[in-house]
Amino acid sequence: MSRLYGDPIEVWTREGQPTQFVWRDRLYLVRRVLDQWVVAREWWKTREGDPGERQFWRVEASPGRDLGSYELRFDTASEGWLLLRAWD
Amino acid sequence: MTSFPHLHVSSAYSMRYGTAFPHALARRAAEHGMDILALTDRDGLYGALKHAQACADARISPVFGVDFALAPFAGAVPAASEEDHGPLSGSTRPASQRSRSAAPGSNRSAPASGASLAGAPRASGALGASGPREARPRTGPDAEDRVTVLARSGGWSRLCRLVTAAHYAGVRGEPALTRDLVAEWAAGSSGPSSFGHQGPAPAPGASLSRDPARPRGLRGSESGFGPDDGLVVLLGPRSDVGRAVAARRDEHARTLLNLWRSDVRGVVIELVDQYGYRDATTAVRMLALAEESGVPAVLTNAARYLDPADHQTGDVLDAARQLVPLHPRHLDRTTSHAYLKSTDEMRRVAHKVCGGDQVRVNRLLHTTRALAEACVIEPKDLLALRNDPPGLHLPEIGRDPVPLLRHRCEDGLDDRGLRGDRNARERLESELNIIEKKQLSGYFMAVVGITDKIRHMGIRCAIRGSGAGSLVNYLIGIGEVNPLHHGLLMERFLSEGRIGLPDIDIDVESARRLDCYKAIYDMYGEARVACVSMMETYRARSALRDVGGAMGLPPHEVDAIAKAFPHIRARQITASLKDLPELRESRLDEAGLGRVFQLAEKLDGLPRHIALHPCGVLVGNSGLRDRTPVERSALDFPMSQFDKDDVEEAGLLKLDVLGVRMQSAMAYTLTEIKRVDDVDVELDAVAQDDDDTYDMICASRTLGCFQIESPGQRELVAKLEPRTMDDLIVDISLFRPGPVNSDMVTPYLESRHGWRAVSYPHPSLRAALTETNGVVVFHEQVLKIIDIMTEAGLSEAEKVRRSLGDPAGREVAREWFFANVRPVYDRATVTRAWEVLDAFGAFGFCKAHAAAFALPTYQSAWLKRHHAAAFFAGVLTHEPGMYPQRVIIDEARQCGVTILPLDVNRSSRHWTVERVGPAPLRLSVRPSSLGPPSSSDSPDSPGEENGYRRRVRDFRAEDLGRGYGLRVPFSAVKGVSEAEVDRMVAGQPYTSLADFWDRARPSRPIIERLVQVGGFDALHSLRPGGPRWREGELTRRDLVAQVGVLERASASGVKAGSRARKGYTGERHPGSRAPVDEQPAVQLPLGFAERIEPGELPEMTETEMVEAELEILGIDVSRHVMSFHDDLLDAIGVVRSRDLLAQRNGAEVLVAGVKVATQTPAVRSGQRVIFTTLDDSTGPVDLTFFESVQGRCASTVFGSWLMVARGVIRRTGTRAVSMRAVDCWNLVDLDAAWRKDGLEAVLALLERREPQTEGVGGRRIEYANGFRISPYSDIGPTPGVVTPPRRLWHASQGSSGPTQAA
Repeated sequence: MSRLYGDPIEVWTREGQPTQFVWRDRLYLVRRVLDQWVVAREWWKTREGDPGERQFWRVEASPGRDLGSYELRFDTASEGWLLLRAWD
Repeated sequence: MTSFPHLHVSSAYSMRYGTAFPHALARRAAEHGMDILALTDRDGLYGALKHAQACADARISPVFGVDFALAPFAGAVPAASEEDHGPLSGSTRPASQRSRSAAPGSNRSAPASGASLAGAPRASGALGASGPREARPRTGPDAEDRVTVLARSGGWSRLCRLVTAAHYAGVRGEPALTRDLVAEWAAGSSGPSSFGHQGPAPAPGASLSRDPARPRGLRGSESGFGPDDGLVVLLGPRSDVGRAVAARRDEHARTLLNLWRSDVRGVVIELVDQYGYRDATTAVRMLALAEESGVPAVLTNAARYLDPADHQTGDVLDAARQLVPLHPRHLDRTTSHAYLKSTDEMRRVAHKVCGGDQVRVNRLLHTTRALAEACVIEPKDLLALRNDPPGLHLPEIGRDPVPLLRHRCEDGLDDRGLRGDRNARERLESELNIIEKKQLSGYFMAVVGITDKIRHMGIRCAIRGSGAGSLVNYLIGIGEVNPLHHGLLMERFLSEGRIGLPDIDIDVESARRLDCYKAIYDMYGEARVACVSMMETYRARSALRDVGGAMGLPPHEVDAIAKAFPHIRARQITASLKDLPELRESRLDEAGLGRVFQLAEKLDGLPRHIALHPCGVLVGNSGLRDRTPVERSALDFPMSQFDKDDVEEAGLLKLDVLGVRMQSAMAYTLTEIKRVDDVDVELDAVAQDDDDTYDMICASRTLGCFQIESPGQRELVAKLEPRTMDDLIVDISLFRPGPVNSDMVTPYLESRHGWRAVSYPHPSLRAALTETNGVVVFHEQVLKIIDIMTEAGLSEAEKVRRSLGDPAGREVAREWFFANVRPVYDRATVTRAWEVLDAFGAFGFCKAHAAAFALPTYQSAWLKRHHAAAFFAGVLTHEPGMYPQRVIIDEARQCGVTILPLDVNRSSRHWTVERVGPAPLRLSVRPSSLGPPSSSDSPDSPGEENGYRRRVRDFRAEDLGRGYGLRVPFSAVKGVSEAEVDRMVAGQPYTSLADFWDRARPSRPIIERLVQVGGFDALHSLRPGGPRWREGELTRRDLVAQVGVLERASASGVKAGSRARKGYTGERHPGSRAPVDEQPAVQLPLGFAERIEPGELPEMTETEMVEAELEILGIDVSRHVMSFHDDLLDAIGVVRSRDLLAQRNGAEVLVAGVKVATQTPAVRSGQRVIFTTLDDSTGPVDLTFFESVQGRCASTVFGSWLMVARGVIRRTGTRAVSMRAVDCWNLVDLDAAWRKDGLEAVLALLERREPQTEGVGGRRIEYANGFRISPYSDIGPTPGVVTPPRRLWHASQGSSGPTQAA
C-alpha cells in the first residue's frame, strides 16, 4: 500500500545517486536503487532556462531496521527534491 | 578498463533527426578516450565519408552502419498518398492530423487500417493468428519499426548495395527495408543467392520453424556476428522484436527473433536504456530473451545528441520532420539522455540493465566491444585520396587508354592546324607525360567520349574552369579554347603535386542538361553512373519556417516572418534584428518571438534534405555501387548519397555538366535567326575581332550579355574599353571579389590608359606581367612569377600558390620563397615580389576559367549586336541573366525592337521574332556612318584611337533591332499549363473566341487572362484604351462575359455547333487578320444561349490594361508603368536615365523607376552596400546605397517596387554614370500624397531631412590580407519586393492616370 506525500526533503548523493535523505526529521539510508527514470517536461511551454527534466528514483531505504520503498523526485529546474510516495 | 564503443550513433546527416556533425562526434569520442566509434545514420550513408575522415583525424577507428526503417509490408512497395509528401509548411499540417485518424492507403498510417492488418503480420511470418495489434500512431517513436545494420570489417560494399536496394524498393526518400532484403545482402562470402532478385524468396511458412536450433550459416562464425564480409543486424527496442518484448508478448518476440536468425547470419540484440519510463524494463527483458536464445546482446545508447542540452533541437527536428506541432506524443525522445555518453556513464547504464550483476555487466560490455572490433573498417579503404598512390576508380575504357589518348592528340594536332608548331608539340609532350605518370589517360578518354556524344546530339557545349588551360583538352576536342593563344598553363589544372582527379567542367545548354545526363547513362549503363548529391542545410528562412511550424504559429505568420529576413545564415537571426535597418524597422524583435528565433538559430547549418547537385555526374565502372550508396532523385536519376567533396575523397571520377542558360539562349537565338531570316550562323566560327561588337560593349550596352550585364560590369567595361578577346578575359577576371577587394582594378586601368607608367618588380618578370600592365590578375601569373624567380617549375609553383590561401600556409610559402629565390635577385626585389604575391593571396582568378567565360561573353555580345531581336527572344525565353524580363524588354525597345502583344493567332510557345514593316536590309554598314556626317567625318581626329572612341560615342543602340518585333508567348501567361500551350499552338489559326474555346480547350481563368491581356484584340478588332464607350463596339469586357456564356453552354451539355458557326465567321485567309469591318462572330449561334450586346460593358482603361498585363504576364507590354507617373515626375523634376549622361559630376538629382535588381555583394570597405537598379523606360539607373543612408532607406529599398531616389552623380567613364543614393521614397506614397494634397505635399516629403539613424551593424569578417566583408553581404537571391503590386494606385477607381497613350 503506497501513500502520496510530495514533501520537500533533503538528499545526499554520490555519483548522482541518492545515498541518504531526511524526511520528517528522520534520516533514511538508501540501501538499493530499485529503479530510476527521467521524465521530460514540455520545455517549450515553460520559461526559458528551465531544462524541464524530472528525475525519479525508486529506492529501498531504512530509517532504522524496517526497509521501505520510497519514490524520490529531483527537479532539475529548481534543484529541489521531493518525497513523492512511500510504501510500507 | 577498456573504453566503450558506441555502435548506434546518428549524426546531423540523419536528416531532421540528428544534431551533431561527424567531426564533433569523433572528437568527443576521442576526448572520452574511446578508440572505436560507429556512425549509423538514418536511412543512408550520407555522412559516412565525413565520419571516415573525422575518425582518421581523431585517430579512432570507424564503424559504419545504417539505421533503417522497416517497411510495413514485406516485399510490397507501399503506395504513397500525395498528401503525405507535401512540402513542409503549415498548410500540410491539417492533412497529417486528419490522416492520423486513419486514412486508408496513406503510407504511415497503413498498419492502422483494416486492410493492412492482414499485411503487417505477413512481414513477421505466419503471425496473423496472434491477434490484432494496437493501432499504430502516425508520429512519435512508435510510428515505425527500425533496425540498425552494421557492416563487418569487409562488408562496406554490401552495406552500400543494401542501402541502394532498400531505396529502390521504397518510394523516393523512404527506403523500404525488409528482412528478405537484409537476408539477400547480409549473406556472406558465398554472395547473395539471388543477385538482384527480390521476388518471393522462401515462402514465409517454410522458414517458420519453432525449432530453436541454430539456423544455417552460423557454423563459420561462432561469435554470432556472421561472416567477416557480411552485415550484422542490431535488433533494438524499436525493432519488431523489441516492440514485442515491450508489449510482453514473449512468444511473439521469440518467433520474430527466430525469423531474423533463420534469414540473417549476424543477428544481435541491442539494449538501450535512456532512462525513459519503461526503458529499463524493456532492456532487462530483451537481455533475458538474448540469453535464453543464445543471441549476443550489446549495449548502445542510440545517441543523437552531442550534449544533453541538444534535446531541444532534437525535439524541434522531430516536429519539423513529421510536420506536426511540438507535442509529447509526436516526439521521439522521452529524455535528454540520448547523447554520446562516456564509458563510465555507459557502464552505469549496463549496471542498471543487468541488475547490478557484475558478471552479466562484463559479458554485455565485452560482447559490445567484440562486435565493435569485428566491424572496424580502415578509413583508408574508403578515403582513396589518402592512399599513396591514390586508389582511383575510373571507368573501363576497354583497351589500354595510353595509346588511345596519344593517337587522339596526334589527330588533334592536324585538326587544329598545329602539326608544324614546335611549341605545341613540346607542350603536348610534357602534358602527356604528366597525364601518363598519374595514370589518367583513361580519365581523358572517358571525358572526351562524353563531350563527343553531347556535341553529336547537337547540344552546345563549352569547357569551363581550369581545364581550358590544357592543350590536351583542346586537341582532343573537349574544349574550344587554345591555351597557347592566351598563355594558359596546364599546371593550374593538373600538376604533379596535386592529389586526386583534375576537374573538367562542361557547360551545356540548360534546357538540355537532362538530355546530356540521359546520354551519359545510355553510354555507361545505369550501374556505372550516378549523380552527385548535395545537402540543403538550414538557413535563416527555412529554419524559421520549420521552427514556426513546430511552435504552432499560423502558416501565414510563419511565411511573413521568414520572408522578412534576407537570405542569411540561421545563426545570424538575432544579430540581424539589431544590425539591419530594414529588420529594426519591422519590430520583429518586439513580437515575442524570442523563443522561435533562438531555436531557429540552433538549426543553423544542419542538413535539411538531400538534393540533386546542379552539375555533378559520377562516372565509374561496374564496381561503382560497391563504393557509393545510390538512391533515387526527384527526376528518377540514380543519385549518390555522397556530396562532391565525399566523391573526390572516395577517388571517384566526377564530371561537372553544368546547365548554362546562356548556352540555351544562344541556341534558341540561332534557331530564330534561321527561322526568320534564313541565315545560318556558325557561332563558334565567328571572327573574334568584330569592331561593331566591341563598340557596343564599350558603349556599355551590355544588358542581356553573358557575364557583363551587371551594374558593376557595365561600369567596368565602359572604363576598360575592351577591344580584343584578351581584354575581355582581363575584364572578367578583374570583376571578381578578389581583384576588386585587393584593388587591382585601379592600377590596371590607370596603366592601361597610360595615366601611369607600367612598373614591374623586376625586369625579368616583364614577360609574365606585360599582358596586364604589371598588375597581377591571374593565378597563372603567380605561377610564372614563382617559377621565374625560383626556377622551381610550374608544378611546384602551383603547390605554393595553393598554400597562399591560409595564414599558416602563407608563412610556409614565404619561407620557402625567400630560401629558394635565385641569387640574381636582391633582397629589395624579393621583398617587393613577395608583397605582390602576398597581396594576391588566394584571390585572383584562374585565367583559363576567364578565357572559357570570355568566349560565350563575346558570342552573346556578337549576337546582340548583329541579331538583336533574335537574341532578345533567346534571352527572354531562357532568362540567363540577373535581370527580370522587363529590363530585357525595355532594352529591346530601346534597341528599336517592337514588342508585340499576345495574339492567339500569332503567339507561340516561346518568345518569337517577327518582321515588322518592310524586310530590313541586313546592316553591313556601321551605325556611326548612318549618323549625321559631321560626327563621322570630323577632320581633326584621324588617329585610330580617337576613331573608335568616337564610334563608341556615336554608337546608336536604337538601330540594332529595327524592323523586327518580339511576340509575347503563351507561356508568359500566369498559370497556363504545358498541355494548354500545346493545344493553343496546335490549333492555330482561330476564327473567333468561341473557336478558340472549342479547340484549344483552355481553362476558364486562362482564357479570361488571354482576353484581358489582349490576346483576342486582333481577332476581334478591339481597340482598348480609347474612349471607354463606343456605340456597338465589342470590348474586352464583353469577351470576358462571353467566356462565361461559353462555359455555361458547354457545362449544360449544349454542343456549340461548329458547323453553324462557320457561316458567321466568314472566309478567313491564313496569315491575314480577321476582317475589320465585319461584325465579329463571338456569339454562339444558338438561339437559346445568352446574348451579349457588343459594347454593353465598358472597355478597359489603359491603367487597367497595364495592371492586367503586370498581373498576368508580369511585364507591362502596352506601355511602361512609369509613363503613368510622368506628370508627377516632371513636376518634381526627375531626371531620366538617358539624360543622366548630360549631368555634371557631383550633381544631386532625383531619379525614379521600377526596381529591377537589388544586390548586396561583398565589397572592399566591409560595408553592406546595396546596389539597386531602377528601370525608367529610357534605360537603367544604377544606385548605390552606402551604410550611412541605409538607416532611413533600407526598408524603402527592399520594400517598394516603384521608387524615387535622390542621388549624387558619379561619372566614371565616357559612357558610364552611376549614382550614390542619398535618400529614397516609395513612388506610390508620393503619388498618393500628390493626388490627395497636391504638389506641395510631395515637395515637403522630398525635402525631409531626417536625422541620421543608425546604419548597419555586425562585425566585419576580416581576412588575413586586410580584406573585410560585411556578414550580410553576398547572400544570394534578390532580397525584398520583386513583384508588382496588384493595383498601381492607392487612389480610387476614378483617378486612373492619364489616358493618352505614351
